[in-house]
Amino acid sequence: MVVDLELNAHARYFKFCLNMLPAEAVSQDASRMTVAHLCLVGLATLDRLNDSLSETQRASMVDWIYEQQIPRAGAYAGFRGGSLFGPHSSCTYAPANSANLAATYSALCSLLLLGDSLSRVDKRAITSAMRQLQLESGTFVPHPGTNERDPRFIYCACAISAILDDWSGVDKDAATRYIAECSNYDGGMTQARFQESHGGHLYCCVASLSLMGRLDALPDRRRTLKWALFRQSGGYHGRTNKVPDVCYSFWIGAAIEMLGGHDLVDLGAVAYFIRQCEADIGGLAKWPGYRPDPLHASLGIVGYSFCCPEKFPRMSPELLLPESVLEAHRARQTQT
Amino acid sequence: MRIEDSEQAEEAVSLAQQAEWQDITPIEQDEGEGSMCPIAYTDEYRELMGYLRAVMAVGEVSERALALTARVIEENPGHYTVWVYRKRLVEELESDIAKELDWVSEISSKFPKNYQLWHHRESLVTRLWAPSNAQSVSEDQRVTNPVLRRELQFLGAAIDEDSKNFHAWSYRQWLISTYALWTQELVFVDTMINQDVRNNSAWNQRYFAILANRDPSAVHFEADMAKSEIEYVVEHIKLAPNNDSPWSYVTGLLLRHAPSMLYTDLLPRIKQLAADNAYQAAMTLTPFYWSALLDIYEQQAADHPDTKKQLVEESRAICDQLASETDIIHCRYWNFRKTSLDTC
Repeated sequence: MVVDLELNAHARYFKFCLNMLPAEAVSQDASRMTVAHLCLVGLATLDRLNDSLSETQRASMVDWIYEQQIPRAGAYAGFRGGSLFGPHSSCTYAPANSANLAATYSALCSLLLLGDSLSRVDKRAITSAMRQLQLESGTFVPHPGTNERDPRFIYCACAISAILDDWSGVDKDAATRYIAECSNYDGGMTQARFQESHGGHLYCCVASLSLMGRLDALPDRRRTLKWALFRQSGGYHGRTNKVPDVCYSFWIGAAIEMLGGHDLVDLGAVAYFIRQCEADIGGLAKWPGYRPDPLHASLGIVGYSFCCPEKFPRMSPELLLPESVLEAHRARQTQT
Repeated sequence: MRIEDSEQAEEAVSLAQQAEWQDITPIEQDEGEGSMCPIAYTDEYRELMGYLRAVMAVGEVSERALALTARVIEENPGHYTVWVYRKRLVEELESDIAKELDWVSEISSKFPKNYQLWHHRESLVTRLWAPSNAQSVSEDQRVTNPVLRRELQFLGAAIDEDSKNFHAWSYRQWLISTYALWTQELVFVDTMINQDVRNNSAWNQRYFAILANRDPSAVHFEADMAKSEIEYVVEHIKLAPNNDSPWSYVTGLLLRHAPSMLYTDLLPRIKQLAADNAYQAAMTLTPFYWSALLDIYEQQAADHPDTKKQLVEESRAICDQLASETDIIHCRYWNFRKTSLDTC
């Protein structure tokens, strides 16, 4: 298969986004950590990370990430989504300066991508806080004080635990029970019992189980794989009777990889759709001809790498990281 | 105060020049080197955030703080702790919850994909009318209660705007379950399916409306429910045979709740439809019909091993047809399905 993605244009796009986002991106102000992670992953998949960022730049970025670590332990510990909350020293009202499971996950991945060893990460504080974020039903809230709860945060908790190799923050039995209840009549996976089967939640449920080593807990793995495969109608769509969106190249594509269905996909058709979503200025958009954004650019490119794996660094389907970065991290962990 | 009014009234004068805010020193954002994905903030947002940081840092409870949180949320509803702060302010200031719900409605039309506003709504509604109190009246009375009537209207408008809004349907399930509005829900679902027979959110809601409220002690529930659902599905397949939703709904429903009825009841009905001149061409061309036959035969063979040989033979032919003609994009799957037939 010929790789004719505009690699240089996309590398420039990610570098540009890391450098500055436009004013309209203000709704991402509390998720800059996630956007940064996505840009780094995009560059890593294109094998352009170290070319695009100098050692000094990478070291400064590592420092910026650590600046977002909440200095106090307790329920708010971990990494916050951006610097918008202000200097840590200024907050006497704790909820004003809180970590978020999604940000902690993205921070850890970003640190690894930038070559950091996680030595400054307060692992104990993170796993202690995590314990307080899991509900009795098994699902997770992202931070204290909210009733927002769903598989995205189960996934973040599992991903963090897997990276830190410390599962003391997760009741695996409860999380597994909750995920099993998210199995729907059509074989898909949902946000909560009875809700609509959704590609994003499929990913979060399957990846969480995979990370916990509990894929066999899927009530009907065959039907779940079939549901995922049948989201392909060219590219992948995220829900039955909706149109393809490039980000599902990752959510659905990665889920299919984890469920062992790589050989059952029309990879050429997926790759074709992803190329249709390339934007002239670089990056990828959710639909052909639409505006690009870092999320769709990054997930589209990682999804593309599943279509022609021999042409790209191998990407983990369970964690938004290259396998090589994970392996280096594991090697360091066994040494200490 | 409506969003537009507040913008016009306050945009003109920056906070630094307002007497009300003279006692506050804004707190600057601490970027440092290596800043990742910094946003080119407008001066207005930068100023709002400076003052928000100042009041949030000490947890100030005041009307001016409440107004400020609204302005920040209207720029950046993804600010995950400002919602926590606002919730506290609304409680401690004893704000008018009905007005707060109106404000949330405005935010949601501007930001239909935001997650946090729906959960904020949830906490407001349960404060306004505790679910335990709602239990003491009939469903008819619950539906006409102003609190729930407003929520149903709001949901109706949101779903009108985007008939597949994931958050709206999700919130709707929470509302219906919490306040037991099951009877009206089945009517609503039917209306939505008839509006767009391909709306999978509506079909999914049908499963929810029927099963989530199931009375475990109801005798013959499965058989009665399955029979009427088969009829309902067949009528809607007629409208558009090549439509995933009703097919996956009925096969999934029966597989879970009345598996033998897949071949005793569904099979004859769809075969009848496929033999009907009016629908024959469409049925032959849709992969969903053939895929349903495979699922049905698999169940039948499992239940009646004496029929297995013949059903496997028929199933192999169907897999071949799907792989080569009817559903080529999934040919690798159909070939794989064929090889796994014998091992089922």
